[in-house]
Amino acid sequence: MKRAFELTLGIVTSVGGFLEIGSITTAAQAGAGYGYQLAWSVVLGTLCVAFLVEMSGRFAAVSKHTIPDAMRERFGVNFFAVPLIVMFLVSLLTLGAELGGAAAALNLATGRALPIWAIPVAFTAWLVLWRSTFSFIENGVSFLGLVTIAFAVGAVKSHPHYGELARGLVPSLPHTRPSHYWFVAVSVIGASISPYLYYFYSSGAIEEKWDESYIAMNRVIAGLGMSFGGFLSVAVLVLAAIVFHPSGTDVQHYQQLPQLLSHVFHTPGAWLVIGSLFIACIGATLEITLALAYLIAQGLGWNWGEDLKPHADARFSLAYTLIIAVAALFVLFGVDPLQLTQIAMALTSASLPIGVLPFLILMNDRDYLGEHTNGRIGNAVVMSISVMAAVLAVVSIPLELVGS
Amino acid sequence: MHLIGNILDEQLQDNGERNAGRVDGIVLELRDGRPPRVAYVEVSPITLLSRFSRRFARWYARRIDRKLDGRGVPFRIPWSRIERRGPGLRLDFDATSTPIYALENWLRQHIVRRVPGA
Repeated sequence: MKRAFELTLGIVTSVGGFLEIGSITTAAQAGAGYGYQLAWSVVLGTLCVAFLVEMSGRFAAVSKHTIPDAMRERFGVNFFAVPLIVMFLVSLLTLGAELGGAAAALNLATGRALPIWAIPVAFTAWLVLWRSTFSFIENGVSFLGLVTIAFAVGAVKSHPHYGELARGLVPSLPHTRPSHYWFVAVSVIGASISPYLYYFYSSGAIEEKWDESYIAMNRVIAGLGMSFGGFLSVAVLVLAAIVFHPSGTDVQHYQQLPQLLSHVFHTPGAWLVIGSLFIACIGATLEITLALAYLIAQGLGWNWGEDLKPHADARFSLAYTLIIAVAALFVLFGVDPLQLTQIAMALTSASLPIGVLPFLILMNDRDYLGEHTNGRIGNAVVMSISVMAAVLAVVSIPLELVGS
Repeated sequence: MHLIGNILDEQLQDNGERNAGRVDGIVLELRDGRPPRVAYVEVSPITLLSRFSRRFARWYARRIDRKLDGRGVPFRIPWSRIERRGPGLRLDFDATSTPIYALENWLRQHIVRRVPGA
């Protein structure tokens, strides 16, 4: 009975925590720019992240190591420093984008300038981290994130062209603006496979003291939770394809986002988007901040744990305090959250192999996983998608910068 | 036992199961006619930095030595006080009163305790 509850909770929190500023804006840009044609990129990203999340949970449950912990132990600090620095910087940009997303929601709700919200949003997120436990953050905030299901309801009520959507699930070459097409595709993939997600998940498995008996449950949570989450991203893409694509309007400002649901639910629809954006971005802010603090604390062997009181892990607590303060500067100095998101997501894609490939080596190491090492399919899917996304990102980012 | 594979960069825990840093360096004792043996492990930012740049590590050590008298040398733990247990290495003493916890203790005392809710 307890396991059934944990399973349900795991799936619910995966769904509620899936959407954030990255997945919402990149899916909206994909739908607005290319209709249903880029639906395949959501599916590819979701497939890859489902495998990665399953692997990180299995790794923690069997080896009792988190990923950064094992990475330093297995490869040494000189190698570990590379993914540590790259992932830290890319995730810090993503964190700035999430704080910007929450501030943008408050700007849409109140009309007050976006930078004004930088400090209140950062302080609120910090206060939750300072005062609450891991379970509250993982379950409570993600549970609120279920409001994002409104996108799926809206998409269904908009009567999309299911035949065209099905055709969009198969990758195809663009008819117009090819460099932008590939740039948006890698941004969508980057938004789905953000490394902080599976780093956070492996730390969560250690915080919740998973053991080998959790392997089956972990598989179901990763598979179903991520699939339903990906379904929400497709819903955003569908809505943007219906609302923006026919008039050839690109999504370039966050002020356009409420239109995604206002055409179906009118004024309440706009408020649903604003509420979803705020909750999803606050949830992601908490997860990314913790993931970055975990990365440093585990890499350096500090005491860490969101369930500990701050006085019991002072370095860890001050690390997340400093991280959230630095990320808030992006919002305070008026960096546009949408542009920051685009850059962060594309850089996430470009840097995927740096975090993913060493992780795959760990996942095939019998010293850590015994008989639970990866199968060929898992290795092939994750390796091929992350390398392909990185190559596409490295080619399309300069072309997009030149083009814009 | 492989020094690099099984000791270097491993997580250390003290006798109260608190994380106590990682093995940043290994000190070997050379013995005439006999194989070298592990004498100490070092847990110190100075040792860690020296694995990237010896010059930077020396500069950092000098600065620390000036600011905190006598702390410009890496903290060493005799190998005899370490045993392998579970996924890491276990110390047979409380690390919270050693230099491993100096920064943690200072931050707790001077910053964290002053924040409500800590």
